[in-house]
Amino acid sequence: MSSDQLSSTFAALADPTRRAILARLALGEASVAELAQPFSISPPAVTKHLKVLQRAGLITQGRQAQWRPCKLEAAPLQEASDFISQYRQFWEQSLDRLEAYLKVVQAEPDKKSSGKTREKKNAK
Amino acid sequence: MQNEFVISRVLNAKQNNVWKAWTEREKLMQWFGPKGVTIPVATMDFRPGGVFHYCMRMPDDSEMWGKWTYREIEPPNKLVLISSFSDAQGGITRHPLAADWPLETLSTTTFVAQGDKTLLTINWSPWNATEAEIRKFSESHAGMEQGWGGTFEQLTAWLAAN
Repeated sequence: MSSDQLSSTFAALADPTRRAILARLALGEASVAELAQPFSISPPAVTKHLKVLQRAGLITQGRQAQWRPCKLEAAPLQEASDFISQYRQFWEQSLDRLEAYLKVVQAEPDKKSSGKTREKKNAK
Repeated sequence: MQNEFVISRVLNAKQNNVWKAWTEREKLMQWFGPKGVTIPVATMDFRPGGVFHYCMRMPDDSEMWGKWTYREIEPPNKLVLISSFSDAQGGITRHPLAADWPLETLSTTTFVAQGDKTLLTINWSPWNATEAEIRKFSESHAGMEQGWGGTFEQLTAWLAAN
């Protein structure tokens, strides 16, 4: 969970080709040749992108001599994903709680008008 | 990439009640923070230049402090404040997971009456930030959510399945 890990993840994610490679790998393992296919770039150029992704820990490459498939690694992606969604989640969940709280508050005036002996809350 | 984070919601409550829920200490402490988080301690000096200083207790019992400095208060329509991470003494601190996260961010919350309902909108952007900090802020959510053409959704779907 170091900020260095997060920074290298984001640096790796900053490039559209690398993001497309990750999106392709989300569908399943793939060889370098397969990954190069949809892009108008050479296999060596793809290899370069794969090195960046590998260094960031986002993918690993198999060791089988012929078909060295690349695959996604969950942990750093999860960390980046958590970081990315944390503020929206923070506010979505806060607003859920606010809604629940307001529901109770909205119900209060009715209670007060029907029960005059009730003390007024929040005298402050 | 966008440098602003925006979230809005129509709340089923009158504008004045929503305003109070945001601007009165005891009320704010009841709901502020994600599920499972509590605010055990908070001080509020509600005036322009005044500070809301709070402690958030996470579900794992760890604590995190934060601080709002109010800039504009226009009841019951608009609230502008500077938000930052903090320590127990009220000093400004860095993001615990991202050293290059902006030290301070500007948050503008508007409350628009829609009959008995209220449209609440929070706009959030870096404040007095360096270029690197602005980049960090924008790559964190706005960029990934809106500018990455579905990659983010695909990756989160994959994560959910693995």
